[in-house]
Amino acid sequence: MDIALLMLVGGIGVGIFGSLLGLGGGLLIVPLLTFGFQLPLREAIGVSLVCVIVTSGASASVFLERRVANLRLGMTLELFTAIGALVGGMIAFLLDERVLAGLFSVLMTYVALTMLRRRSASTPDSAEESPELARDPASFTARLSGPGYQVRNLGLGMVGSIFAGVSSALLGIGGGLIKVPVLHFVMGVPLRVATATSNLVIGITASTSAWIYLLRGGIDPYAAGPTAIGVFVGASIGSRIAHRVDLNALRLLFTAVLLFTAFQMLRRAAGIQ
Amino acid sequence: MTDESSNQVSGTATSDAGMDGRIARLLRFGTYLAVALIAIGVVLMLATGRSPLDVAPAFDPVRLVGDLVGLQPAGFLWLGLVVVLLTPAARVAVSAFGYARVGDRSMALIAGLVLLVILTGVLLGTPGLIGSIGA
Repeated sequence: MDIALLMLVGGIGVGIFGSLLGLGGGLLIVPLLTFGFQLPLREAIGVSLVCVIVTSGASASVFLERRVANLRLGMTLELFTAIGALVGGMIAFLLDERVLAGLFSVLMTYVALTMLRRRSASTPDSAEESPELARDPASFTARLSGPGYQVRNLGLGMVGSIFAGVSSALLGIGGGLIKVPVLHFVMGVPLRVATATSNLVIGITASTSAWIYLLRGGIDPYAAGPTAIGVFVGASIGSRIAHRVDLNALRLLFTAVLLFTAFQMLRRAAGIQ
Repeated sequence: MTDESSNQVSGTATSDAGMDGRIARLLRFGTYLAVALIAIGVVLMLATGRSPLDVAPAFDPVRLVGDLVGLQPAGFLWLGLVVVLLTPAARVAVSAFGYARVGDRSMALIAGLVLLVILTGVLLGTPGLIGSIGA
């Protein structure tokens, strides 16, 4: 019982942390379960996939109601994230866990360094400043565009989506770390729409590989239950207290946690732990 | 933009607004149903003294009804997890019908292909059905 409650509380902490920093919980759930509760890495990744679907489902519904998420664009890209997730889901069961740990360490280091580089002030949303309309409103790309922005580089977006899908399936993350920059910087989608659309796509991305994990015994329901409930509750709390928290201090703490965990993952990858 | 194309864009926006609302309700319903089922499973788990580190029974759709009737935590947890995974697919299925109904063939086709990829994942994941990944 103590372990279940600890897992629930850990999930709440991860949910709050992830929600405040605008990251899915995946990046934190896997280390929580592997280092905190000694779960095998692949099992932790399976549980993490379930958690990111739960949290993205709740927030995607809000984004859709507010008409911030672009359903057509999301649907088009999720065909490619799903293909990537399918490939990643198959590879995940063939790779040694030490390789997965190594990949996770690289991802965490990348995110930590990105956090350090990020300015406290938000970057200007250049895509929102160019309300250029499509030349041919009947073209497919024009129909994927939204009010005030025109989607560009669809081919690059598709390639980026496949990569996001593979990463999601291999590491148990939502893939927003890849999808949001691709949507915003490569495809010219405003940041707010990019974040909301990426959130919508997470459900299909993560569920495609999560089916493989579930049916192959890679998801333990006893571990997934308390963690998923905790993350769901934590994410709800996080979204309510976000405006009262000093995000710069939190970001520094998060960077330190990420770097420490990346080091631990690297040790595991090297067979030291 | 011509009047005709303007009307076309406006019509698309109206149908999209209706679909966004329907899908938002579906996502919310699926998520809360899944969370409720998982929460019942967790409460039963705590009540029966099971630890998250215990070995759980494997997923078996045939046993699911019996486990639910017998108030077994694994039954509620597995059903909750299946609802979690089915919710995004249900969202795509509703979109496919919605796009087909308004005659948007390309979007209906894309939604259908997404469902096909998910189905492939289910088939690849099912032990003994196709190949033997990690088995």
